Amino acid sequence: MIDVKQILNIAHYEIMRIFRERVLLAILFIVPLLYASMFGLVYVSAILQHVPLGIVDLDHSQESRAVVSAFENTPNFKVITQVSTYADLEAGMKNGLVRAGVVIPADYSQKLAQHQLTQISTVYDGSNLIYGFNTRKYFQQVLNTFSAEHTAAYLSGLGMTKQEIVNVMDTVSYSLEVWYNPTFSYATFIYMGLVLMILQQIGLLGIGLTVTREKEENSWLQFLGAAVPQWKIFIGKALPYFIANFFNFGFLMWIAARFVNVKIEGSVGLILLLGLLFDLIIVSVGFTVSVYSPNSLLVTRYLMLISVPIFVASGYSWPSTHIPAVINTLLRTMPYTWMAEGFRLLTVKNLGFDFIADKIMVLILMAAATTFFALTFPKRRKPPAQIGLAVNSALDYPNKNF
Amino acid sequence: MMIRQCLAIMQRELFYMWRDKSLRTILLVGPLLGLLLMAGVYSSQRIENISTAIVDLDKSSASSQVITDLKNSQNLQVVAHFDTFSQLEESIKRGEVIVGVVIPENYGKDIALQRQTKVAVLIDGMNIIYATNASSAVLTVTRTLGAQVGIQTLIAKGIQPNQAQEAYQSIAFPEEAWFNPTANYAYFLVLAFALNVWQQCCTLASCMTIIGENGRRSWYQIRTSGISLFKLFFCKSLVHIGILLLTVLPVYFLAFVVFKLPLACGWSSFLLFTLIFILALHGLGTMMSSLSPNAVNASRYGMIIALPSFLLSGFTWPLQAMPQWLQHVVWILPQTWFFQGVSFLTFKNPGWGFMSHYFWALGLMAVLFYSVAALRLMVRDFPHKG
Repeated sequence: MIDVKQILNIAHYEIMRIFRERVLLAILFIVPLLYASMFGLVYVSAILQHVPLGIVDLDHSQESRAVVSAFENTPNFKVITQVSTYADLEAGMKNGLVRAGVVIPADYSQKLAQHQLTQISTVYDGSNLIYGFNTRKYFQQVLNTFSAEHTAAYLSGLGMTKQEIVNVMDTVSYSLEVWYNPTFSYATFIYMGLVLMILQQIGLLGIGLTVTREKEENSWLQFLGAAVPQWKIFIGKALPYFIANFFNFGFLMWIAARFVNVKIEGSVGLILLLGLLFDLIIVSVGFTVSVYSPNSLLVTRYLMLISVPIFVASGYSWPSTHIPAVINTLLRTMPYTWMAEGFRLLTVKNLGFDFIADKIMVLILMAAATTFFALTFPKRRKPPAQIGLAVNSALDYPNKNF
Repeated sequence: MMIRQCLAIMQRELFYMWRDKSLRTILLVGPLLGLLLMAGVYSSQRIENISTAIVDLDKSSASSQVITDLKNSQNLQVVAHFDTFSQLEESIKRGEVIVGVVIPENYGKDIALQRQTKVAVLIDGMNIIYATNASSAVLTVTRTLGAQVGIQTLIAKGIQPNQAQEAYQSIAFPEEAWFNPTANYAYFLVLAFALNVWQQCCTLASCMTIIGENGRRSWYQIRTSGISLFKLFFCKSLVHIGILLLTVLPVYFLAFVVFKLPLACGWSSFLLFTLIFILALHGLGTMMSSLSPNAVNASRYGMIIALPSFLLSGFTWPLQAMPQWLQHVVWILPQTWFFQGVSFLTFKNPGWGFMSHYFWALGLMAVLFYSVAALRLMVRDFPHKG
């Protein structure tokens, strides 16, 4: 029979520490909410619409006005009327007034009347490719519709009846269907990836100081000297953080679905399983880092810096198929990569266990390995190494209360 | 005497920064590692060769023509041919293919008989970067294919070939990406992400300015020595600012000289803009440092701002797509001015008239942040008379 009293005592002590240190309490419960709300507000519109568009109509004919109308009648573009010349367009693109432009040549209607080839030029701002790629897609949509209308008008001019035109033009139709995220919602695409990164960052920062704090106050010696096995110390100290992280996981997911309109589908059981595994890895890694780090400042500095590189290189946004194998392999050693991919397949694609079994298996192995290291940390009472004249690298760091 | 004292303080600060092993590593290695990692991640530069699968239920010469056109598309790469729709569905689910094209039975016969037929195109929308590019590629291909079939149909109906062609192809739609003509993702993001890592490293260093002194026991000595606090922190800050500028130089060298990322403005303008941002960022870190009881909290406060600042800056997801009020709020962060300015200077170089606002805003922020730090220090730490 395992004596859980010692574990609960340590957990109780840790909870008291958390509540006593207001900044830590805020980091555990307020900062995740703050970040999630901030990112939620950033992506709440979800779809990039009303791209500011400058139209340079050098023809000013009835035909060219039809082109202008085609762009005015879509919510994807917002025609900026201050732009009317090519110089305006150049200036507007430079200072950000417009992000895309359409140029109708001066001889547009004349060439159409003379049955000569003419063109409608489209330009987009490549300095921001979120704008750029969406604009290109919107251009294609508008121009496909406009082109079809133009063809229909031309055929009508040849004396064909409406039915005949429909028959010709609809000989082959293309049904374009976008699965899993049909509205191209950026919130569904990116938000939960960011939330999982927040959970990892805040989770590591919370538990990462649990041992260094004791070292700085000389109380870690009591843990090492007491007749309490390592695994009980780990479980006792990690339990409050584990519960807080799991609460945050559920809470932020609820915010994502309820307020940011992120698509979250899939088996609740599998979502919880992924959450539990990820949480276990975070607390065991954070605890182990804390055991081996000399002070809280170092832990804070290093852990704060890992989030951006891991997120960018994980293949969550820029697809891993387009990332070199060496970086992909490196990132496969990070639990976030597996968690984020598995979570997205589950919640966005609504896939079953078969499709994410490999991700779950890897997370189980990672959880087993990291928990093993955390449970069996050495209890040797090693004095701090003599490292000569060092600043902020030993047990202390600048602190007014020391 | 005064210069000698200043030099002594600066020498001492350099020694402190060098002996702070973790900060030294972070400043020397962090930004460079960030740049190299980002350059590696975005080394393919463009989303091309989007894996495409075809279910050809017709297997006629007309359907072969569709497949040939798809294969000739610039961004699509046909990687699989399936016999059934369910195989395609499974492959999209597994993420093996992003685009699926289903050519129905009797496709060739229907076209020949001028009967309506429908080609289904499916796109995996899970990753929007893929999906957006795939949609554009598919829309281009379908317009071309539709025109080809339409022309054939019209000719079959007895319309003159030149008229049939004119009906579909009298207007060309050339497209052009300005400032980044090849729509290169590496140009768009590598430097920005590397600078994001760099500004986080800078924040960690800046957060030590004040707490690195008044959090040590030697602070009592400094207070009683009679040295001017202004002189002390001015000289310390000079060293910090110089070091932060030095750490970004190799990043710029690699980015602009080795990786040949675009730099529309001159080097001097860009370095001057970086310097003014360093002042604002260091001011912010110094302010956080003055508000904190210890170095850990100073780093936490600083980084809580630094971490989300890139996302909030509108460099990736545009500011115009954020709620109206948030679009105004994010400008209180120096990082917003910096990343927006970096975008303008590297791609567009809109000129001093436009960029002067950015310099002024960052300069004013620096003054404000340093002033708050100085006030806080005077109120809490200045030795009381008597």
